[in-house]
Amino acid sequence: MTHQPLLQVKDLHVFYDQIEALRGVSLSVDERAIVTLIGANGAGKSTLLRSISGILRARSGSIKFAGASIEQAPAHLIARTGLAHVPEGRRLFAKLTVDENLRMGAFRRNDRRAIEDDRERLMDMFPRLRERTAQISGTLSGGEQQMVAMARALMSRPRMLLLDEPSMGLSPLMVDFVFDTITKINGEGITILLVEQNASLALQIATSAYVIESGSISLQGSGVSLLHDERVREAYLG
Amino acid sequence: MQSATQHLSWTKPLTPPAVVLPLKTGIITGLLAIYSAAVGILKLFFERDVIVDTLTLGDLFLATLAACCGAYVWRKSTQAGHIRAAQAFAAGLIAGLILVGLVVAVTQLNLRWMFTALSADLSRTLTYKQGALAGSLMIIAASMSAALCGALLMSMSDSLRRSLLWSMACVLIAGVFQELIQISLRFGGAVAAIRELLYVWGGLTVQGAAIVFFFAFVVLQALDARKRRGAATTLKSPAPKARSQLASALLLIAVLIAFPLVAGSYIGQVMMLVSLFVLMGMGLNIEVGLAGLLDMGFVAFFAVGAYTIALLTADSEYALAQDTFLPSLNFWSALPFAVLAATLVGVLFGLPVLSVKGDYLAVATLGLGEIVRVLVISDAAKPVLGGAQGILQIPKPHIGSFELADPVSLFYLTLVFVLVAAYIAWRLEGSRLGRAWMAIRDDEDVAQALGINLVQSKLLAYGLGAAFAGLAGAIFATMLTSVYPHSFSLLISINVLALLIVGGMGSLPGVIVGAILLIGLPEVLREFDEYRYLFYGALLIVVMRVRPEGLWPSPQRKRELRAAEKG
Repeated sequence: MTHQPLLQVKDLHVFYDQIEALRGVSLSVDERAIVTLIGANGAGKSTLLRSISGILRARSGSIKFAGASIEQAPAHLIARTGLAHVPEGRRLFAKLTVDENLRMGAFRRNDRRAIEDDRERLMDMFPRLRERTAQISGTLSGGEQQMVAMARALMSRPRMLLLDEPSMGLSPLMVDFVFDTITKINGEGITILLVEQNASLALQIATSAYVIESGSISLQGSGVSLLHDERVREAYLG
Repeated sequence: MQSATQHLSWTKPLTPPAVVLPLKTGIITGLLAIYSAAVGILKLFFERDVIVDTLTLGDLFLATLAACCGAYVWRKSTQAGHIRAAQAFAAGLIAGLILVGLVVAVTQLNLRWMFTALSADLSRTLTYKQGALAGSLMIIAASMSAALCGALLMSMSDSLRRSLLWSMACVLIAGVFQELIQISLRFGGAVAAIRELLYVWGGLTVQGAAIVFFFAFVVLQALDARKRRGAATTLKSPAPKARSQLASALLLIAVLIAFPLVAGSYIGQVMMLVSLFVLMGMGLNIEVGLAGLLDMGFVAFFAVGAYTIALLTADSEYALAQDTFLPSLNFWSALPFAVLAATLVGVLFGLPVLSVKGDYLAVATLGLGEIVRVLVISDAAKPVLGGAQGILQIPKPHIGSFELADPVSLFYLTLVFVLVAAYIAWRLEGSRLGRAWMAIRDDEDVAQALGINLVQSKLLAYGLGAAFAGLAGAIFATMLTSVYPHSFSLLISINVLALLIVGGMGSLPGVIVGAILLIGLPEVLREFDEYRYLFYGALLIVVMRVRPEGLWPSPQRKRELRAAEKG
């Protein structure tokens, strides 16, 4: 049997009305890997994640997750197969408390005791949240909100996490914490596809990386090799 | 530091001079008074006594306007205490002057060709029948003292102010609804003694008003003191709180059962109407309050419920029993079909608008609701649904051999359904489905990403919401014993939506408060019926400005808005 990646995207074309946002993107993510996707604003990073999680519908191409074709599946069913999407800008239920947000993450689960255990584990991972369980999540700082967003996604016990710009708008200290957490989550066996503008940090933790430019993949390689690639340095690392 | 002050010295001063606030507020208050006079509602207010031969609703209305003006100035002003008081005083003066201006204009010019309400009669009433000069001075004095009273109220402690205002509200209720209260107190003995203490034949007496005021004030202060003591001692004990909530709910139900018996069948009819709207409100609350699906075509489900009952039970040529194999049913056996039909239509209704959001959804549902009404009234459907003449001779429900014919027994029937529906709505709110709706309301994309089935949840919201309306429609049909298309106008949808907004979106007690205020109150105050929608508009604006979460919001909604203010 040949090696099978956990997520495989092949020749994906996505349109917003007439505008082609993704022009034949192919990408694969191995189980337990951290794959990062870097690119400029409007290159199609978020579009790709939204297509994978089923919020957007691709015009053509295929997406396989854990051996099953998901390009036609509705978003809620994709989520139930263990693919959790942490959207850009956190998108918490701003009016709910931190705790209620986490419980929404476990929406599909019925195993009450295991949910409590997971909640405890996540509180250990994000100690800041333990102090704020009863706080309205809209009133948290950006970093804390990012923690809630990640914790909420983890409450569904995903196999793979799609992270869209987790470091956006955060203080440098918080950025470091978020990236540490991503490696920690990955250490627990969860596969990660990370979209980032902070290319240098993302490439440092990535096992492999893709560069996306105006809707198509222009470069790919291991995280370290792209970190030293002349073109990447010039365009994204400054 | 110095450079900063220099920099500011040539810009405009940041706080406007102290005269601006009273001037603005006074002018607005005066214009509001003129407006109420010009549209004619003030005249009606003057004809209604609160205290017999002493105080009319009109006096009270103008005094309240001036008091609000004073209170607003007191609250907004950043000046020291005595200047604030002077500002409130000045605002009252300006409002009074404007009203005097109206009196002068009415006596000097003929405005009746445009505003029929602006008669010499009105100006006589406004000037306390004291002639132009003395009357005008009295208006100004009254306006200024009312404004000062308003400011004074604002400077009091919260507890005292609340007690005072509520006591005044009690006097107002005792005075305005004197007829109903006197009917309720029509019994002999001790009840008669109370009645004679407070009322004469024509209404509340001065003595009665004083008694009501002091009684209410003492009770409210005592309650407040107890509450404060309770808050201090038992900070964390949800169990007794839940028990007291249950107790007050049971008490409310007991009052609801006893009230129409005491107050007579007219009140029974009003309560019946209110409870129908409560049923519909709870249904729309599922759609709008919980799932965030703005629905302006809600009346369609109400109509489907009513017509289903008509077709299945009526003794008429349009009844299905006439030309199909179906038997003619009674109310009880037809009721499940009515609810089911409404649910089905709800789901069908939801299908085309699944991916429509926000304002567009409001417009789309508006159209769908109108389609149903137009279909019913159309010639095409006339052979089946009776067209504009409707379907007549729908039987009343029976329990055994007892016919629920009068409004009071129909009210009891509706009350039972309301209780059942409230229980279902309450359970739904806390259920997994309720949480799914909430997630969809807040963020559809994230809801999907959490594994929530958007299509299913939305259709369930439409279907369940419609079921409540179908139930209300079924009762409505049997109450009127006939159905006409024109009973199902857009206004019903708007009424139901408005009562949700006023009561508080997503809150079950809010639905009841909203229905009482928007449906019950106008029914009881029939003489102001012409101004019903003026009242609606004013109430909606005031609620949105002062209490956007509604009069009785759900705890969560309250929290949201507080969080939003902080954030």
